[in-house]
Amino acid sequence: MGDIKPVYLEEKLKEIEESGRLDYRSKTLPTWCPGCGYFSIVEAVAASLCELNVPNENAVVVSGIGCSSRFPFFVNTYGMHTLHGRALPVATGVKTANDALTVVVVGGDGDGFAIGGGHVPHAARRNVDITYLLFDNGIYGLTKGQTSPTSAIGFRTPTSPYENPDRPLNPLLMVLSYGASWVGQAYAGRPDHLHKMITQAMAHRGFSYLHILSPCVTFDKTHRTYSNLGMQVRDLPADHEPTDRAAAMREAMDDALPALGLYFREERPTLGDALDGLVEKAGGELPGKPAAKPARKAARR
Amino acid sequence: MATDIQISIIGSAGDGTIAAGDILRNAFAGMGYKVISFDVYPPEIRGFGKCIARMRITTEQAYSLKHKSDVMVSLDDSHAIPHAGELRDCGAMIYEQGSIVRLPEGGHMSAHVGPGQLPYPLPIRELSEKSTGANRSRNIVVLGFIAGLFNLPAEGFRKAIGKKFRSKAAAAEASEAAFKAGLDYAAKTFKLDDVVFGPPVSSVVAGSTVEMINGNAAIVRGALDAGIDTFFGYPITPATSIMERLASEMPKRGGRLLQTEDEISAISAVVGAGFTGARAATSTSGPGLSLMAEMLGMGVIGEVPSVVFVSQRGGPSTGMPTKTEQSDLHMAVYGGHGDAPRIVIAPTNVDGCYRCGGKAFEMAEAYQTPVIVLIDLYLSNRYETVVFPARPPFEADMNRKPGKQAAAAPYKRYALTADHVSPRSVPGEKGGMHVVTGLEHNELGRPNDSAELHTAMSRKRHEKLKAALRHPDFTHFKRFGDEGPVDVGLVAWGSTFGECLEAMLKARGEGIRCAAMKVVMLSPFPTHGVSAFLADCKEVLVPELNYEGQFANLLQANVARQVTRLARVPGEPMKVEEILEEIRRLAGRGKSAQKAA
Repeated sequence: MGDIKPVYLEEKLKEIEESGRLDYRSKTLPTWCPGCGYFSIVEAVAASLCELNVPNENAVVVSGIGCSSRFPFFVNTYGMHTLHGRALPVATGVKTANDALTVVVVGGDGDGFAIGGGHVPHAARRNVDITYLLFDNGIYGLTKGQTSPTSAIGFRTPTSPYENPDRPLNPLLMVLSYGASWVGQAYAGRPDHLHKMITQAMAHRGFSYLHILSPCVTFDKTHRTYSNLGMQVRDLPADHEPTDRAAAMREAMDDALPALGLYFREERPTLGDALDGLVEKAGGELPGKPAAKPARKAARR
Repeated sequence: MATDIQISIIGSAGDGTIAAGDILRNAFAGMGYKVISFDVYPPEIRGFGKCIARMRITTEQAYSLKHKSDVMVSLDDSHAIPHAGELRDCGAMIYEQGSIVRLPEGGHMSAHVGPGQLPYPLPIRELSEKSTGANRSRNIVVLGFIAGLFNLPAEGFRKAIGKKFRSKAAAAEASEAAFKAGLDYAAKTFKLDDVVFGPPVSSVVAGSTVEMINGNAAIVRGALDAGIDTFFGYPITPATSIMERLASEMPKRGGRLLQTEDEISAISAVVGAGFTGARAATSTSGPGLSLMAEMLGMGVIGEVPSVVFVSQRGGPSTGMPTKTEQSDLHMAVYGGHGDAPRIVIAPTNVDGCYRCGGKAFEMAEAYQTPVIVLIDLYLSNRYETVVFPARPPFEADMNRKPGKQAAAAPYKRYALTADHVSPRSVPGEKGGMHVVTGLEHNELGRPNDSAELHTAMSRKRHEKLKAALRHPDFTHFKRFGDEGPVDVGLVAWGSTFGECLEAMLKARGEGIRCAAMKVVMLSPFPTHGVSAFLADCKEVLVPELNYEGQFANLLQANVARQVTRLARVPGEPMKVEEILEEIRRLAGRGKSAQKAA
């Protein structure tokens, strides 16, 4: 513990202001509870947009419904706060209509893997060029603490007062099998690593899925707490080969001790590429190539 | 001499009934006749379901099919016999003269041709087998016979056959042989002049083109002419051919189409694309519209332009997928939770499908709201010869852009304005950043559920649509028939209006003072125009294809007036005779009126 440096508020504020990432935060204060892991995610997203130099007006943040889905109001970009479970198809529409936009989808475990679970495989297999940040707290926070599809067996909530009889889903394993072209995992309790992973996910051309473990400090005092998660999380083995989907799936199966890092990455044509291909096949002319993509290209280099 | 001839071909699935009908109507349209045509087929692809191809060929404009045909072809007697009574007196019945199986008594058409009907028994199977070596071309043999029997130009038929088998050389060759066999056989047949085709009459204005297309194809053409950018859809009868046709046409124009995983994603993607300023649409039928209800509400509160083409079929639930019905009006106008006003337009013919298919995009943009174009299976699959103008009658851009206003921070996406429409920015525009949310919000688009704001925003969303009642170059409603006070006034919507128009014209022929109004814009409802018409009517008749009288309900929610409902659910178009009989009764004439007296 000897390496903890003292932080002086004025110096820290100056550093943040100079970084430029405040330009990507809106003046609306987050509606989350004090201590919620989501604060570090919104900070990291702002920092990543800043780092990748995405013009604010070229970014669109799309969400569904849930605690995490209030997110678009807290960043200074275009945004859509849509219906429970429908962020992915809405974002698919946004990206299909305008390839030049940087589209980020945010949402929770219930939004993405309960009500919206039918959309994930299709966004993944199509390789829609969007970044999907899944905030997994294993609980329905906005409706005050009910069981979610990633809640542990035996978890007690107002809708499972005796215990949760269902085994949790393994979203990482699912998304890997759906054919996502970039899959990673991060933890809200490790903000620096989180920021790096978000930057990589956004820079990836294709469907990138980042699973973010985050505690619900208000409604979960027993399972996914900072202290439990802090003990459970590990790094992916140093020799993990992120181009090996089978190896990534083996790692993902160990969900008792979740490993953080980049599980899988591949370069393949995006939905936009495929649709452009159809235009060429049909002998059509592509509409004027939009000029607003330099930021992402720079990031890939 | 005016021509007005209806031909029905009746067969079993697999007989080539619908294909023969398709060739025949193309041939007539190519010769310059006006054609209106509607087929009936079973929900199964294979099997032995009944197929009927039916077309009316005229020189004057017709509005519906006739109750009785002038020519009937049986490719399968077991299906055709129950319809033998639908052939008019002195009409021609064409059927297979022999049978290779032993038929039960009364199993052959020869026992059912009525007195006064003209029997034309042909060796259809034999002609097909001798000319092509197989019995598969029986349908084409019949076409050759029709061409010969009625002295029609064989060239027109050959062109239509060639078009049908464009990509299948072997089939084209066999068809030519079968066609010739039928044609030669007709030369040896004794001809009566009870069914006569007069010369076609061309009424084409220079620059315009005439095409025979169905309602779904007309919607596609409207959407393309209005510059559709993106389309997201999920297959469902009877709307699928809208998506299929767009899938082949849109990429040719640089457009993008995606088959989504369900109807929920389809409408979600449309709203996402609409948010970026693209012209986006989806197509579906009743079951899909049910799934879309929630996201349509999001489009309403988020004020995002979106277009939904809905072709109704028999419901509820899976209902009758290949039968027509007008029973989704309530859902289209009122469906979904909350006060969610939207624009609903319902064309009454194929030409209207083209106009509504394009105008929907204008309206969605101009009033920033979802627009539903509501047709039904009958209109989707009904072919008509349509005159297309030289230049598409649609505006390319009806957006109200924020311009400099967006730069004036903070940008108010939902600014309360005099006409209730706010300037809209789209992603990529500097200074116009905002969040579209399904939550109630303030002018900035930030969540806010105060009583004052919810009232003001609800008013905005409702009031802005009133301008749609004056949308330029659009027929919101239209009166036909007698001017001034009438004994019976018909009010109708959608596909059924054609039958109403025919019935009204017939009633006038019988000396009944009668008029009919079509209502194309169903939401917002053109109350003023409709009530002015109703004030002229002693009796009001509302024919429609649903059980509850959904349009009559909508009418009475807007205009306090007693009406007579003629609500039927046969799964097929309403019979002109049935409407006419009701007009006579209301006018105090005819059999039923005498019976009542």
